[in-house]
Amino acid sequence: MDEVNPIVIIGALMYFAVIFWIGWTSRKASLDASDFYVAGRKVGPFVNGSALAATYFSPASFLGLPAFIFIIGYPFWWALVGIIGGMPIATLLTAAPLRKYAPTSFTDYYADRYETKWLRLIAGIPTIIGGFAYVILSIVGTALFMLAILKVNFTVSVILAAVVVFAYIYYGGMVATTLSTAFQGVTMTVAAVIAAIYVIANYGGLNGLTDAVLANNANFFNLPYVNETASHVYVSMWSGVVGFFFTWHFGFSALPYTVVRFFTTQDIKAARRSVFWAVIVGGAMYAGLIIIGTGARVLIETMHPLMETEGITNAVKVLVHMKTEYGVAGATVTDYSMIAAMESLKSPFLLAIITAGGLAIAMATAAGWTMVLNVLLGRDIIGKVFGSKWPEEKPIQCTRMMTTVVLAICTLFSFSPPALVLDISGAAFIVILCSCGPPLIFGIWWGRATKAAAITNILVMTFLSCFSWMYAKTVIGKPHFFFLNKALDLDWVTPHQFYWVFVGLIFFVLLSLVTKPCSDETIQKYSLDLRPEQ
Amino acid sequence: MFKGMPKIFWIGMLIMYGWCFFFMYLEMTIPGFPLKKFLGVPACYIYNWLLGLWGMNIVVSFLYYYMEEKREAKQK
Repeated sequence: MDEVNPIVIIGALMYFAVIFWIGWTSRKASLDASDFYVAGRKVGPFVNGSALAATYFSPASFLGLPAFIFIIGYPFWWALVGIIGGMPIATLLTAAPLRKYAPTSFTDYYADRYETKWLRLIAGIPTIIGGFAYVILSIVGTALFMLAILKVNFTVSVILAAVVVFAYIYYGGMVATTLSTAFQGVTMTVAAVIAAIYVIANYGGLNGLTDAVLANNANFFNLPYVNETASHVYVSMWSGVVGFFFTWHFGFSALPYTVVRFFTTQDIKAARRSVFWAVIVGGAMYAGLIIIGTGARVLIETMHPLMETEGITNAVKVLVHMKTEYGVAGATVTDYSMIAAMESLKSPFLLAIITAGGLAIAMATAAGWTMVLNVLLGRDIIGKVFGSKWPEEKPIQCTRMMTTVVLAICTLFSFSPPALVLDISGAAFIVILCSCGPPLIFGIWWGRATKAAAITNILVMTFLSCFSWMYAKTVIGKPHFFFLNKALDLDWVTPHQFYWVFVGLIFFVLLSLVTKPCSDETIQKYSLDLRPEQ
Repeated sequence: MFKGMPKIFWIGMLIMYGWCFFFMYLEMTIPGFPLKKFLGVPACYIYNWLLGLWGMNIVVSFLYYYMEEKREAKQK
């Protein structure tokens, strides 16, 4: 085992101590099903806002976004702007109406609005695909931090990450998850902001940082059309820049793991205000991540200790060395770029903070998605769809059993992660957004939305988005090009096949126009009555 | 479609998308636009990093809850 500075170990231990303390003190707060599923609907705006931010942002943010800025350059900043820019939209689009409706699980809305219990199962398909992917990437993210900074063996790290998340969900349900996640939200933001301050201070200000970045990579700030060489082939067309802006943009409004957090607030007012706090917490963290990603390459190449190793001449070789040393299959070299950049600054205090922030963001997302999946598999599918009395008679026992199943499966997959964390995240977002997003949004805001359109849209868009993403990745080599590029001899950049989100919206509207609407009573109760009173 | 959606929602959307796509358009039509100096630093730190990413979204999310609370209070 390599030497680890005691300050870094103390930072990580302090983080785990707080998480265990929250789990322990909140274990008696989950006395009934309502507490366990939706934290008794007692959560205030700030706590919910911080928990929203921590749940929504995952290792894909903390490890992946700086890595993509490292690879792609300045145009990828717009992806981060798109993510934060999508958060306020949720306030009035879904947060307030869904809190008014006050369901227990996100599939309740699909079943009630479209008058069939089978929509729980159908909406569950893309959610299970995306949800499992997210829990896996979150466990992998946690383990990567423990491996690369604390030098804990990867297998041990994966087990440790899964056990900690399992413990506080198992005992505390949504109450423990919300409180620990709120703490994690603050931790990850403080970590990213402190890291950014370190980077900026290292170069004597923003001008110094920019000059250093340009000296290292003259194309970093290049945009398509006005520069001969774009900063990267993924942003060599406007569709690359706009596509990355939209890949994660609508996730906050429509993805199950954030939507369920709107159910936990005290009232509609708190639901709306919690988005405001989530923007403050999340926006500050993203501002930090932009600076870290921007400075990553130059920091590694000028200051990382491994640059003194024979044969290592650039940042990518440093990352290749780290990947080879750690030997985690699936994780790509750039997954280590954020950690390597922080190591370059040679501050044990900074590494301790970053470790706590990295663990926080990863565990919060794993917990958030596990809460979605355990309720979906237990209460919704086993109970409401297949009619078992178990989830109704023993809701906490059933949910705990599902938590065990979900985390056991995800832990097994985490030992050999399938891909770069940000690529898993992008794929999961597009699959769920284009399939489940339109029936949710239009269900609330359009009386004409129909059952047939909801079922067809979810099934067709799940298939198309999964197929096109995998086709682009396997046949073209990257999921960031239009999947028919080869067949049609095109050269289009469409990150993660993002266009399916818009295709899904149009497809749903067209299908709704030619199929039979739901009953007037349903439309009144689950659409018109959920809108603001005029 | 979207009947009953508060007007402030559309105003907020206009501010957010207007800001982002206006500056994206400028970046793709004016060479070196992100690096042009504004307030002593490259302009992209102001219109993208500080305002586009954070400041503008704080304002929009504040307007969304504040205006709705104001409207509801008026209704009562």
